[in-house]
Amino acid sequence: MKQLALVLAVVFLIIAVLYWTGHFYPAGVHTKHGIVAIVLALLCIVWYRFQSAANVR
Amino acid sequence: MVLAVLQGVSELFPVSSLGHTVLLPALLRWHIDEGSESFLAFVVVLHLGTALALIVFYREDWVRIVRALVTTIVRGKITDDRDERTAWLLVVATIPVGVLGVLLQSPVKQLFASPLPVSAFLFFNGFVMLLGEWLRRRQHARAGHPYKRLEGLAFADGVFVGFAQALALLPGISRSGSAIVAGLLRDLRHEDAARYSFLLATPVILAAGVLEFPKLFTPAAHDVLLEACAGGVLAGVTAYASVAFLTRWFRHNDLTPFAWYCIVAGAGSFILFATKVIA
Repeated sequence: MKQLALVLAVVFLIIAVLYWTGHFYPAGVHTKHGIVAIVLALLCIVWYRFQSAANVR
Repeated sequence: MVLAVLQGVSELFPVSSLGHTVLLPALLRWHIDEGSESFLAFVVVLHLGTALALIVFYREDWVRIVRALVTTIVRGKITDDRDERTAWLLVVATIPVGVLGVLLQSPVKQLFASPLPVSAFLFFNGFVMLLGEWLRRRQHARAGHPYKRLEGLAFADGVFVGFAQALALLPGISRSGSAIVAGLLRDLRHEDAARYSFLLATPVILAAGVLEFPKLFTPAAHDVLLEACAGGVLAGVTAYASVAFLTRWFRHNDLTPFAWYCIVAGAGSFILFATKVIA
């Protein structure tokens, strides 16, 4: 689960960049779509943090 | 100003603000260019006013929720603490509506934002609220079926409420109505379901306002900025009064009057538009 969280965070980060540069479906720059992708990436990082802390405990 | 009051009231009452924004101008034969930059700027300020009213109304809750959110992230664990669970229930329920809202809002609005489908959805909104009330009564008629407190919801229940809330992308379906019905079906009391719905509304409405914030800086928006600010204040005041009224209402009452209002208004509008009494 920890790895999945990290992979998803990276995927959402890439999607955000692609949205902002206009290289993701639908064509054109989509600022709001990019913001949502970044928020999802951040949530995945938080998920990763929860998993890591649980492992330490 | 009428639109500002309408926004402030209908955004929180379970009667669909978007539906009323489409239906009322059509019924009263107002000619509003809903795609114009000045109108969009006006709507942005109305949303910000409404969100601000919600933040002010629930200010103590929001301080505790944000603190709990930060604490859980730093600690790396969510405990059974009331505020920590509420904070994350808000996060998980906001994800579906945030993602679906950004991806689907424009196509859905283009497809359905005309008076006839909106009337049908408003009718459906009323029907769903009545059905939700009936299901809740049936569920709790069985002896020993307990009610939950908001913090007692599972995170999967939060996701369910979030998806229900996303139904409000269809103009005519109420965001607060669908979220309250979903909360009731997950064993919340009306009071808790309404509180969850209003807390959920804050990030959603605030994001809708903030994401469209650049529209306030277009030349067309500059011409209506004063009116927009007055509208925003009015929307905020009416939203505050609405949430104060509704939190008291749901202590002892249910969704039935709002459901019947939606059924009558939806059916009446549908007949008027379908028979072309109003073109």
